[in-house]
Amino acid sequence: MENFDLLLHGFTIVLSVNHIALMVGGVLLGILVGVLPGLGAPNGVSLLLPITFGMAPVSAIILLSSIYWGALFGGSVTSILFNIPGEPSSVATTFDGYPMAREGRATEALATAFGSAAFGALVGVVLITCLASWIAHAALEFGPAEYFAVYFLAFSSFIGVGGTPPMKTVVSLAIGFAIAAIGMDTISGSVRLTMGVDELVKGVSFVVAVMGLFGIGELLIAVEEELHAKPVASRIDWRTLFRTLAGLPKHWVALLRSAAIGCWMGITPGGPTAASFMSYGIAKRVSPRRANFGKGEPEGIVAPETADHAAGTSALLPMLSLGIPGSATAAVMMGGLMIWGLNPGPALFIEQKDFVWGLIASMYLGNIVAVILVLLTVPIFASLMRLPFFILAPLIFIVCVVGAYSVSNSYLDVVLMMGFGVLGYLFKKLDYPLAPLVLAIVIGDKAEDAFRQSMLMSEGSLGIFVGNKLVTTLVVAGFALLLLPPLLRTIGVLRRPR
Amino acid sequence: MISRRALEALTAGLTGAFGVAVVVSSFDNGIGWSTAGVESGTFPLIVGSIVLAGSLYNLVRGWLRGTGIVVERAGFRRTLALLLPAVVFVAAIPLTGLYVASAVYLFCTLHLQSRLSTVRALAIALVATGALYLVFERAFQVSLPHGLLGAWLDL
Repeated sequence: MENFDLLLHGFTIVLSVNHIALMVGGVLLGILVGVLPGLGAPNGVSLLLPITFGMAPVSAIILLSSIYWGALFGGSVTSILFNIPGEPSSVATTFDGYPMAREGRATEALATAFGSAAFGALVGVVLITCLASWIAHAALEFGPAEYFAVYFLAFSSFIGVGGTPPMKTVVSLAIGFAIAAIGMDTISGSVRLTMGVDELVKGVSFVVAVMGLFGIGELLIAVEEELHAKPVASRIDWRTLFRTLAGLPKHWVALLRSAAIGCWMGITPGGPTAASFMSYGIAKRVSPRRANFGKGEPEGIVAPETADHAAGTSALLPMLSLGIPGSATAAVMMGGLMIWGLNPGPALFIEQKDFVWGLIASMYLGNIVAVILVLLTVPIFASLMRLPFFILAPLIFIVCVVGAYSVSNSYLDVVLMMGFGVLGYLFKKLDYPLAPLVLAIVIGDKAEDAFRQSMLMSEGSLGIFVGNKLVTTLVVAGFALLLLPPLLRTIGVLRRPR
Repeated sequence: MISRRALEALTAGLTGAFGVAVVVSSFDNGIGWSTAGVESGTFPLIVGSIVLAGSLYNLVRGWLRGTGIVVERAGFRRTLALLLPAVVFVAAIPLTGLYVASAVYLFCTLHLQSRLSTVRALAIALVATGALYLVFERAFQVSLPHGLLGAWLDL
């Protein structure tokens, strides 16, 4: 009940003209970056980060999270209408969304997508409302060893269940850690890994990495694959829209299953992209309508969209309560929190009640605003896609350069961003995951500090990581996530009849 | 065109080289346990070694299992057509400043590369650069680099 009161208090903070305006602006910007290939939610949030420095933290997080919701919705629009996923997490939506749109059922496809997305997001927010403060209170008891164990669990789940080649995930994570270590060491004060470049003492900003990896990398992929927009009619037929929305509950099994998958993947940092693919894959295996999948089956939209948004929303749960972001965009937001002088983690629930509950309340409202705005603006944003890509590409590139430079007015950052861009292109081509890299850059320092503090406490004995029930459970769970999938695969290979 | 094998090898080579650099650089900071706790080079040493070992694994695996073409010739040409002018643009920023470099970059890519008419390319270049100036220099008071040219013109 206490949570409910706090939530109501959150609504009183959010319901101001100022904040609603920020929400509308954020959602529209989010839809824009979601629609444009080459710009995605992580970039959109990074780009606007510098202008939030002067804002109150609540206003800033409302703006940034609204961009996130907008981008999640915007990505689905282009998937359905143009067969071009505006976001990596909406790739699975193209499988059935585009065939439906081509058959002239664009409105039905869009309504199914938005309806199930809104449901997924709602489940995610309700989960946060109920669990976040409880988890935060439990986490208040955590010492450095418990923290390190939780970080370990998060990283293991990336490697074990992330769905990308495990060794590539390991390399991606470890590179992120190394980049996080560049610059001043927080414990000893010595300067590390600058390799002779004095300017690197300040470290490498995650914003620069995100701009390059996601922005430039995606742009290079987009020109290489020469995305041709073959648009279908994008006019919204309101009667069909409402009929489809009203008929959505008949997919309740798929909705619930996908929301559960999404929440799970959002909390254990698998992220929205893995969630939507996994949900689509499972639906294709178990749905009674599986024969129609890939040919324009509404359930083929329900599954990825619900999971995508449930994961996107619930990714904020571990970020708020433990200080571990569940997706790349959540990692960028968490970086923002630290820049605004907040300390993400359980203490937030005690010291910054207004911030936390304002954010949670804004998630309910933001998603409603996003559904309404995306419906109203589909034709406008769809017409943007008719701009030839050869005009858009250099413009997006300039936006990324300016974004990287304005982080700390440094030309070196622009050069680094180019390097990250090439790396992002190579990684995407070869199925290296990018989210773990960003996550490790943002929380690498904290994980290292937690490890070194634990070692100080135990005077150098690793025994501290099996010192009590809680930390032992976390460590064992981490190893299980890390080792079980390859083990099961090996057993599967051995058992397979030759 | 580029084979999957070559691209896997290139990427693993790059990540491996980074791993080596991290390992070598970590020795400057001290490794292991001292009275002040874990020394600050220890963590980079561990992570660098993981990057190196993982890269070697990916190199071998990519070489053994990689088959087929991963980037077609036409696609590769399009990627370079975006990347190379972009590199020149970034290299020009310290000299001409961001605004001049952006305008020239946009005009050249649109007119010379994408064959847009002179008038249209010029219009897009000027409008985009002007918008950039208004948004950053005026609205948000963020000064973007003016370069040597800017210093010479005393901006």
